Amino acid sequence: MKVTVNGEIKECPEETTIERLLDLCKIDKNRVAVELNLHIVPRKELSTRMLNDADVVEVVTFVGGG
Amino acid sequence: MLVADKTGRTIENIPLKIGRHEFTSRLFVGTGKYPSMEIMKDALAASGAEVVTVAIRRVKINETTSLLDYIDTRKFTILPNTAGCYSAEEAIRTARLAREAGMSDLIKLEVLGDEKTLLPDPVETLKATEVLVKEGFTVLVYTSDDPIVARKLEDAGATSVMPAGAPIGSGQGILNKNNIRIILESAKVPVIVDAGVGTASDVSIAMELGCGGVLLNTGIALAKDPVCMAKAMKLACEAGRLAFLSGRIPKRLYAKASSPEKDF
Repeated sequence: MKVTVNGEIKECPEETTIERLLDLCKIDKNRVAVELNLHIVPRKELSTRMLNDADVVEVVTFVGGG
Repeated sequence: MLVADKTGRTIENIPLKIGRHEFTSRLFVGTGKYPSMEIMKDALAASGAEVVTVAIRRVKINETTSLLDYIDTRKFTILPNTAGCYSAEEAIRTARLAREAGMSDLIKLEVLGDEKTLLPDPVETLKATEVLVKEGFTVLVYTSDDPIVARKLEDAGATSVMPAGAPIGSGQGILNKNNIRIILESAKVPVIVDAGVGTASDVSIAMELGCGGVLLNTGIALAKDPVCMAKAMKLACEAGRLAFLSGRIPKRLYAKASSPEKDF
């Protein structure tokens, strides 16, 4: 199936959790917040929430700013 | 002589209270625009700051280094901002994401009016403040130096109001001391000057007026020697605070001799 991660289309296997997707993208889950189809996914649900085809995932983190 | 309070703390050491948080340092420092992460790390240490601001952006896929590799989160309190947001809706979304990423209730709310001036949009800022306060955020809100807007933000539940000294990144200092004084006169929450600080004396001026603290980024990050400037800002913040607490002499139009009149 295909999901969109931060604007890029990613191919991933069926039954992929958000946590697995972050692993595939080499993203440290401890320093990010995740939105699935514009809804925030609580951190404790990252390992259980399954992705569906055409899902849109946004992953944000802290960067330098004032 | 500096008077001690009941707990034995001298007056100059009374911490700055932001909601349930307490800080000894009154200088808040940003983490953007440094020449390198190493210089940023050294500058943050030299500034003595306990609170550092960060922005929220999309993760770059496959990028392995992170800002937080350079900031010891046991030492520094992270204050995420909503920089780059131009509506209440965007700012609220960013604040919620920041809370999820950082597990903290602190947010520096910033809702801008346009890209050229980067001045705050007071209407959207007020709307976002109301929503975020209801959601349990500790809101430190960036605003212009308009005393009426500052009061409305405080009434809406902001934990701190943060008037701009001058436009963001402009380095022009405190352009309207009178407005900052009027804000300070009625505010019951800490007033932190945010934005526009160019050099050490700007920080001192804000603190001498009685501000609770100063937040700056560009003044340090883009100085020729950011680490040295960070130390200058730290000393200026302490000097200004002490001068405020000491009670300055009133300004006089005419001279008044310091030596006794000649009597021979």
